[in-house]
Amino acid sequence: MMKYLNRIVPVLFIAAFTLFIACERGGDATGVTEDEIVIGSWGPLTGPGALWGNILRGMDAYFDMVNEEGGIHGRNVRFVYRDDGYEPPRTVSAVRQMVQNDNVFAFVGGIGTAPSMAVKDYIIENNIPWVGPLTGSTHFAYPPQENIFALFPLYAREGAVHAEYALDELGAERIAIIYQNDDYGRGGLIGAEMILEERGMDFVERLSVEITDSDLSSHAARLRQSGADMVMMWLLPRQAAIIMGNTAVLGYNPTWMASSALGDMGLMIDITEGRWEGVLFSMFGEMPYSDHEQMQAYRAAFEKKYPDLRWGLFASSGFVFAEVLVEGLERAGRDLTRQSLIEAMETFEGWQGVGAEVTFAPGVRQGSSSLYLVKAKGGLDYEILTDFMDSDIDIDEAIRRLR
Amino acid sequence: MTGQLIISGLTIGSIYAMLALAMSIIYKASEIPNFAQGDMGMISTYIAYMILVVHGWPFWMAFAGAMIFAVILGFLFEFLFIRRAKEPNILNLIIVTLGFQLFLYGMTGWRWGSDQRRLGMPFSETDTINVGGVVISHLGVATILTSIIIMVMLWFFLSRTKLGLAMKAVQQNPMAAEINGIPKDRILGISFAISSVIGAMAGMMIAPITTLDPNMMWDPLMKGFAAAVLGGMTSLPGAIIGGYLLGIIENLFGFYVSLEFKSVVAFLIIVLVLVFKPAGILGHHYVRKV
Repeated sequence: MMKYLNRIVPVLFIAAFTLFIACERGGDATGVTEDEIVIGSWGPLTGPGALWGNILRGMDAYFDMVNEEGGIHGRNVRFVYRDDGYEPPRTVSAVRQMVQNDNVFAFVGGIGTAPSMAVKDYIIENNIPWVGPLTGSTHFAYPPQENIFALFPLYAREGAVHAEYALDELGAERIAIIYQNDDYGRGGLIGAEMILEERGMDFVERLSVEITDSDLSSHAARLRQSGADMVMMWLLPRQAAIIMGNTAVLGYNPTWMASSALGDMGLMIDITEGRWEGVLFSMFGEMPYSDHEQMQAYRAAFEKKYPDLRWGLFASSGFVFAEVLVEGLERAGRDLTRQSLIEAMETFEGWQGVGAEVTFAPGVRQGSSSLYLVKAKGGLDYEILTDFMDSDIDIDEAIRRLR
Repeated sequence: MTGQLIISGLTIGSIYAMLALAMSIIYKASEIPNFAQGDMGMISTYIAYMILVVHGWPFWMAFAGAMIFAVILGFLFEFLFIRRAKEPNILNLIIVTLGFQLFLYGMTGWRWGSDQRRLGMPFSETDTINVGGVVISHLGVATILTSIIIMVMLWFFLSRTKLGLAMKAVQQNPMAAEINGIPKDRILGISFAISSVIGAMAGMMIAPITTLDPNMMWDPLMKGFAAAVLGGMTSLPGAIIGGYLLGIIENLFGFYVSLEFKSVVAFLIIVLVLVFKPAGILGHHYVRKV
């Protein structure tokens, strides 16, 4: 008997434990109490992507601001965020912890394509509302998922907007592209390529960069040889600084057009030794340095909470994405459940905070995809070139080419 | 265009050559490939950054400060970790270097964060010299000159000073050297200190080309290691030639053949070297007595 007991006890224990966990989770109003709503997020606070960590801190400062102003229908937001170092396996454990231990009600943000992909299925399975994954990849809203509300402009659309502006407004004739060889860079490439094809054109040079590359002098030589008058840049800040340095050595100065991922002017001016001046880049929200009243208030809130950190694109993006969730929570009312939040999100119709206009509907989960273009003018000076623009390229075709 | 590519290749190749040299010095003395080499240089570069940018002191002080820090770091690494390893075999020691690398990487992220930063240098990255249509930046010239100066100084040290000769003796036959009264451990400590200084120089030269951040040495170190293997791992001139060659081949390959495979060409070269000339360009064939 003892012999069997040794086996039966652990099996019973595990079965009981599993049952306990199974009962514990679910329940539509998980994470909502009388006076509190638990919101979760994740991103790299350490490791190579840590410069994006300020997005989380921006959100953190924003929720503090919301609480100070009286919360949402009598409830304060408790914001839980965890560091994943931009490593998908760590994202998985961070998100599981937040779901199982912290009982989060909804997620906001979540940084990066690969980390977000790693937890997408889990969040869908648990039907937890998730607003604004910080990636312009197509995986989150195409096909639409009941509980995921995407806000970040699709990279392919952004690439298309760039190409249209370069051709129609700037009259560019020889366009080259230098892109990171992943979903982000290739998204931009494909969007722009589709527009060029429509006009019977092609890139004069397309160059891919690996994320680890630290010498781009042969890329620079190829660019110069192509004689491009405009170069589209879909890189990370580090490689952007390297290629601009390498081309400057060769005395080659094309017009550069950069993706919104390179939109942190303070950082770019610094690491390119001022060569960023004259670069065109896209933005999906108010400029962090703008005198827009709401943005000024956000800046003050951030500087109050994190006096030592630099205010810039990443910190302000935290506000841009989190304010959409808060608007959704406002609309859902006092009887808050996951279902009521999802229904409230579907009522967005051209709502605008400091970002682009947001529209969701049943079956529509890409809330916005518009951008505007800015020209850097040295220091933190800039000139806004356009209003919000969108492109009507065929997203299904773009997705087909990306796969 | 080819001339331009060769010059650009020579510039980045100088960085590879310095790292290859740093790795070869330690490998010769202890048979350990030191994978912490890159991040030791990286953290020394951060020290220079602190002195230069944060405190605003002149460049020569930042340079001297970083070099002194590098010497201490090299000694400490050998004294605290390598020497402590009980019954060391090569594999254990390699893991010690990897552990130290992770430690330094983590420390840097904790202390300075991973924001990309600029290390201002007195040599401009964009002011150029034009020699017959081939342009090279002042920084590029400084990088190439630094690698050459290091080479000459190292040659002088190893062949003209007592300490250098002692180092060579330990490298060639540790037991005989010890019998003759040469303190083997201390010599190994000095080897680590010297290679740490060379790694720090490489770090300071590459930071202005790329950006200063905790990941900046990963790619150059791998290339430096490839260059050292190409040169024969035990030959210092081989390491240098390997570094220059790799920089040039990479650049030519990237321009004329394929950019996608530019960064893996280093490892294709390693495979070819191991197949056709396992001892490298200048290395002596290594036979272990049993």
